[in-house]
Amino acid sequence: MPSQANCALPQGFQLDQYRIERQLSLGGFSIVYLAFDAHDTPVAIKEYLPNSLALRKEGQTEPQVSDEHRLAFRYGMKCFFEEGRALAKLMHPNVVRVLNFFRANGTVYMVMQFERGRTLHEYIQKHRGEVKEMLIRSVFARMLNGLREVHAHKLLHLDIKPANIYLRNDGTPVLLDFGAARQTLLSDQPVLKPMYTPGYAAPEQYDKRELLGPWSDIYSVGASLHACVTGSAPPRADERVKTDTLQPVAKTQAGRYDPQLLELIDWCLQLDPLARPQSVYTVQKALIHRHGGADRPENWFADLGNRLKSFIGRS
Amino acid sequence: MRFTIYQESRTGRRRSNQDRIAHCYSREALLMLVADGMGGHLHGELAAQIAAQHLTQAFQREAQPRLPDPGLFLSRVLASAHHAILDDALDRMLPEAPRTTLVACVVQDGAAFWAHAGDSRLYLLRRGRIVTHTRDHSRTQLLIDQGLLDAEDAANHPGRNRLYSCLGGNHAPQIEHSPRTPLRDGDIVALCSDGVWGPVSDDCLLGNLTAAPLSQGVPRLLEEAERRAGATADNLSMVAMCWHDEDNAGPASAESISTHTMELDDFTTRLDMSSMGPGPTKDLDEDEIERAIREINETIRKFDQKR
Repeated sequence: MPSQANCALPQGFQLDQYRIERQLSLGGFSIVYLAFDAHDTPVAIKEYLPNSLALRKEGQTEPQVSDEHRLAFRYGMKCFFEEGRALAKLMHPNVVRVLNFFRANGTVYMVMQFERGRTLHEYIQKHRGEVKEMLIRSVFARMLNGLREVHAHKLLHLDIKPANIYLRNDGTPVLLDFGAARQTLLSDQPVLKPMYTPGYAAPEQYDKRELLGPWSDIYSVGASLHACVTGSAPPRADERVKTDTLQPVAKTQAGRYDPQLLELIDWCLQLDPLARPQSVYTVQKALIHRHGGADRPENWFADLGNRLKSFIGRS
Repeated sequence: MRFTIYQESRTGRRRSNQDRIAHCYSREALLMLVADGMGGHLHGELAAQIAAQHLTQAFQREAQPRLPDPGLFLSRVLASAHHAILDDALDRMLPEAPRTTLVACVVQDGAAFWAHAGDSRLYLLRRGRIVTHTRDHSRTQLLIDQGLLDAEDAANHPGRNRLYSCLGGNHAPQIEHSPRTPLRDGDIVALCSDGVWGPVSDDCLLGNLTAAPLSQGVPRLLEEAERRAGATADNLSMVAMCWHDEDNAGPASAESISTHTMELDDFTTRLDMSSMGPGPTKDLDEDEIERAIREINETIRKFDQKR
């Protein structure tokens, strides 16, 4: 099923109480806009618009859904609601905050707090191979606070990757996009495939889904750390299961980073779920305490934000 | 194969129809099923839909045009349908997996094989008698088996709807299989949800299904069951099949189906999704959407106040 590109709503479009400014991103499942509310506060609005099921042509407002896709479209909408439900319950400085949820134009919209900054992905692209250990440790240690909150609500993220880790201008990370692992029921419909990203998804996300757990997100954390130190994601896990070409970073990056950090990355990237760290807390602890090194002063962690700011501000 | 088949599903007085029914046949094999999504649990209709879809798809994949082993097919596919429901719940990050009953029957080489979990039933009618029906996997059936309850009291027992086996949910299903049962000319195999067998007596069921062709008998039976259940009528669903010997020179009926002339790789499938079609039920979906949005916004406000 070839999927057509959907047209974004035009600049200045009045959507409920919001005014569309511009499109921020376009995915297979949704479009994200920058918009302003009635008080001119910027917000990010995610529009449910699965490419394979709904089509909005140039100049149209309401997307067209053919009768044969109506069912799948509705099911996909339920998944969008699940994401909304999951996020609405989470209130954490390192997890994106949902502000509102509404219906319009025959589809549904999720309004989120707009954060100024850039994604970790963009940061890595710009500083390829030169991401400082200090930044890695502090961004991930904080981002994992958010992930712990997610896991504490018995949810899994399942799409952690540098493009979903947002770095605010003040240097603190925010975890974005909880819309992963979705699928419609009707497999003879153009399926809304689970939208994991190759390279960052754990091997069990490809087939043995009964094995999914916090350790699956931990694999993705490991893959994201891998991207920070090498500049790219590890090979796809489904390929690795067949022939593992992944070189341990403890070997390839030796001397560039603390061996303890490199070992942690290799540990997270184990193919066997049980061989990985089993909780986010374990990973966090390893990020904060350097092996063999002297314990950090009490205020080290508290001070990270400021240090981080100086790192990130320097682009 | 030659047979007459009829299926119908009604919403009753419920807000939505969580039953799913289907039949599907190739030149040499026939599959029928009824799945009753469990309403007390989240997304019962999802579980029923997945189970129905999963079985018909597996049947179409494997009955080319016959199944190597119908009994084994049922055992394997019911177990994998259970896992398909769990997988789906995981994909949607649902707090618990939805549940459904399931009764399914395969006919091949003139013999029927069936399997079930829960309280959707299969009846085998022969020469104006109920030869057998499946035993419900319910608390009340256990009490009846132990002699602690008779059938009449069971109909009003509060534990009537408590099932100890179903697909989905937290526990692995206990699936009960029939022996291979050869069919005779005129035999009727009827699969139905508890919305049908609950309100009516065996005699009523038997009378309606045998007095007229199934295309009239089934609607009459559903009508009767719905009327007797009154304001609390559950979803009512039935798939019924009357078997005809291939060489029987009996009265040619316009309604009977002969698979004799079908292509080897051809399938005829009917999967009813009555609750999802257009019409008044669409408004229910609208309600669901509105409710979901309201709930999410309420949660957002609640947490915002804590801030």
